[in-house]
Amino acid sequence: MSRRAPASPEGKGPLVWPLAGLLLLTLLGCGSQGSFPDRPVFLLCPWGAGGGTDRVSRQVAALLEQDLGVNVNVINATGGQGVTGHSRGALARPDGYTMTMMTVELNMLHWRGLTTVGPESFAPIVLLNRDAAALFVRADAPWTTLEELEERIKTSPEPLKASGTAQGGIWHLALAGWYTAMGEDPARLRWLSSQGAASSMTELLAGTIDVVCCSLAEATVQMSSGKVRCLGVMSPERVTPRFPDVPTFEEQGYDWSLEGWRGIGVPRDTPQEIRDVLVPALERVVRSAEFQDFMGRQGFDWRYEGPDPFRASLDRADESLGTLIRSDAFEAIRTTRFGAMVYPTVLGVACAGVLAGLLLTGTLRREGTRRPSRNGWIHFLEGIGFIVLFILLVRPVGFVLTAGILLGLFFWRLGVTPWRAVATTAILVPATYLLFHALLRVDLPRGLLGW
Amino acid sequence: MSIFPGAFWGGEVIEALQTVLDPVVLLIVVLSALYGVFVGSIPGLTATMAVALFIPITFHLAPIHAIAAVVTLVACAIFAGDIPNTLLRIPGTPASAAYTDDVHDLAKQGLQDRALGVCLVFSVVGGLLGSLVLMFFAQSLARVATLFGTVEYFWLYLLGLGCAVVATRGSALLGALGLILGLALSTIGLSPAHGSARFTFGIAELYRGINFIPAMIGLFGLSEVLRNLLVIDRRQDAQAPDVASHGAGWSLRRSVESVFGSAVPRLWRRKGPTLRSAGIGATVGMLPGAGADIAAWVSLGVSRRLSKRGQAEPLDHVADATAANNSALAGAWVPALVFGIPGDSVTALVIGILMMKDVTPGPDIFQREDGALVYSIYFLFLVANLVLLPVGFLAIKAGGALVRVSHRTLLPIIILFCVVGSYAVNNSYFDVGVMLAMGLVGFVLDQWRVPLGPVVLGIVLGGPLEERFIGTLNTSDGSLLAFFERPQSLVLGLLSLALWLSPLVSAVRRGKRV
Repeated sequence: MSRRAPASPEGKGPLVWPLAGLLLLTLLGCGSQGSFPDRPVFLLCPWGAGGGTDRVSRQVAALLEQDLGVNVNVINATGGQGVTGHSRGALARPDGYTMTMMTVELNMLHWRGLTTVGPESFAPIVLLNRDAAALFVRADAPWTTLEELEERIKTSPEPLKASGTAQGGIWHLALAGWYTAMGEDPARLRWLSSQGAASSMTELLAGTIDVVCCSLAEATVQMSSGKVRCLGVMSPERVTPRFPDVPTFEEQGYDWSLEGWRGIGVPRDTPQEIRDVLVPALERVVRSAEFQDFMGRQGFDWRYEGPDPFRASLDRADESLGTLIRSDAFEAIRTTRFGAMVYPTVLGVACAGVLAGLLLTGTLRREGTRRPSRNGWIHFLEGIGFIVLFILLVRPVGFVLTAGILLGLFFWRLGVTPWRAVATTAILVPATYLLFHALLRVDLPRGLLGW
Repeated sequence: MSIFPGAFWGGEVIEALQTVLDPVVLLIVVLSALYGVFVGSIPGLTATMAVALFIPITFHLAPIHAIAAVVTLVACAIFAGDIPNTLLRIPGTPASAAYTDDVHDLAKQGLQDRALGVCLVFSVVGGLLGSLVLMFFAQSLARVATLFGTVEYFWLYLLGLGCAVVATRGSALLGALGLILGLALSTIGLSPAHGSARFTFGIAELYRGINFIPAMIGLFGLSEVLRNLLVIDRRQDAQAPDVASHGAGWSLRRSVESVFGSAVPRLWRRKGPTLRSAGIGATVGMLPGAGADIAAWVSLGVSRRLSKRGQAEPLDHVADATAANNSALAGAWVPALVFGIPGDSVTALVIGILMMKDVTPGPDIFQREDGALVYSIYFLFLVANLVLLPVGFLAIKAGGALVRVSHRTLLPIIILFCVVGSYAVNNSYFDVGVMLAMGLVGFVLDQWRVPLGPVVLGIVLGGPLEERFIGTLNTSDGSLLAFFERPQSLVLGLLSLALWLSPLVSAVRRGKRV
């Protein structure tokens, strides 16, 4: 048991600490730079674990892993309706080790002013899926065709209530676009913002909304269980072979189509020789029977487009979605009566009430602890310094070195006996690295030594 | 036998039993249990992440093997979250944040085995009861889920938040303050109902808001480390005396006794409350969009409210919360199997697995020829929870080694865990920064005796609550009547209003008397 006072580690210390550094260095070995790829590749998924994009990403990763011979790790960089993942993918180091599973939001977010990242920030590699928007009603709803629904929208004073994704998301745009196509004011649409098609389906079954607009893939289960009915799909042609019975909007007399897509890209400045490795590899993966089978079973509409056709479709989609988003109609659906500051205001009022109550009752008191010593505060700041230094150093220096040095320093400051500090550091840090790297597929930064 | 679905005792059930008792399946269950406990006990790693990592492998497995792995993984990972919760004060899920301080206080007295034993036993019992609910009432309960729309969820969230205030140790007003703080933190980022940026100060990383996992690690784990660092010079090398009393020679009997000695009699004594908690867990867990988090808090709230002062120990409440937590896991499968609507992110992944195997969830899933597969899901739930008992025991004993490490060595290691855990969630350094900031916030809140559990729940439920609130207002064009229009919303609304008003009134009254 260590009983050493914190102030006197100098005794045998000075010799041991450089030794600790040496030990670490030998453990690290030397990193080597071979041909691409010689270390794990990341696939950024802008959406959460368990969702459609996540499942597709993980399937691509599993197959690409066999093809490239290195680990392919999926990272869920979620949030901000796709802003986080797409921005991170576009701003990543252009070395081919960070790919992004891009989705149709890439064509939308920059028009909405949420990010500067757009289609031209990426070099497209492969497009692997297109999912058209479709319109769903409850199986017992009175409308069986789009025409009947149009009749209801135009004659009833009650606005239609719909859901399917977040306010201003792709399926909201799709429905608003159909409104415009049939000469109806999209402002008369009541959109219930939701985190995804699944919770919108709950609403539909609970009877709080009239229609759900989302992709066929997202509604496969409810459709085949006979709970909901599809009135039409917004694709240029029928979706065969999965849904041959679902008529398109065009067949029913509306000149309107809108599709979401998924595809993989790398940052714009990625060198050609790296792209030359990724393009054929991903083509083999996406065209493989196994991947097509997977997509079919999950209800996703499989497609394949190489870099050039993918770039062309990206630009086309960007133009049409841009027109839609910049139109007055979209402005109308963006502005809701209860804006973004309503809820914070309510919270503010509640907070004021609680604070008043606390002050009146005198409940808000500091815990009566003994005053910490000066040394205590120094250790407190060292703890914070540990984390700040970690954040600053880990990217250039790498995890093993940073964590090893910081942990060692901190042990020393707290007066842990040197042999124990060295042993703990030398075992714990590499073990953590290996654990996360090999078993949990979280790649900690490698930095200087390539390890 | 009318409560059983049609062919309950038919060939499918026998077939399902045979499938589950297959040695390969049992081996998979045991391995997944070990993996689940391992992943779940690492701060920052979640059951969803464990399952997602596992998904590509399922393509090569028979459906029953895939499902066996997922069911076991989840059941075990959820319990394992209680280990860092107890030993390091780092909760694994928002649900276990409900009782973090109760169990961590016991660990500080060297009673971590007793606390974790209760968590383990009641997790297993909650899980078993939840599976039974799933077995017998899945179809009838599923109908309840279709009654819940936006407004009902709004009230349910408010009810869950109210329970967090009621269930707080100490002043309800302080609990409410913590809660509002959490709700306020959740407004950072893109507003869920409009998609416009709010309180982001031009920082792109803030668009996605405050992730609750780094926040939770910071609020609880890091703040505790910082507080200990302040007084570390005063501690004569920590914990050694506690260990001495336990550590004199190892015997299986003594270890078993230290873990289960308190839990099993407690289970016998609290049959009623445990049944109640499992019921609450299964019912709330079954609602898509509510899940285990709310279930644990509601169960804890009910438990605290019903027990007369001084009669129940803190561990009794922990037992109720953890039973509800695990029971909710089974509940989440009800809407997934019957409607194909996932109750949480794990069941979303499971639906993906089922579809890959051409099994489409639906109301008739029990009558189809895949019926055997569905029944085997039930049995797997039972088996997984039984396997958790020994595996969890081993994990508790292994985790106990952490407590024997001296404080001077342990505190830097915990900081490293906090850093790596919050990084692992999204591979983001920004999250590490969030963790640090929340650590400081938690430190200050601790000083002012503001409870941290409600802060976490506020961060988790803030977004969904706002979405439902604004959504209801917008679709009804601002009429407040919309909140009480349907019978089910009226009932839930009155219930949650009553819950909210009762402690506030009594807190003010009590405060005046002092």
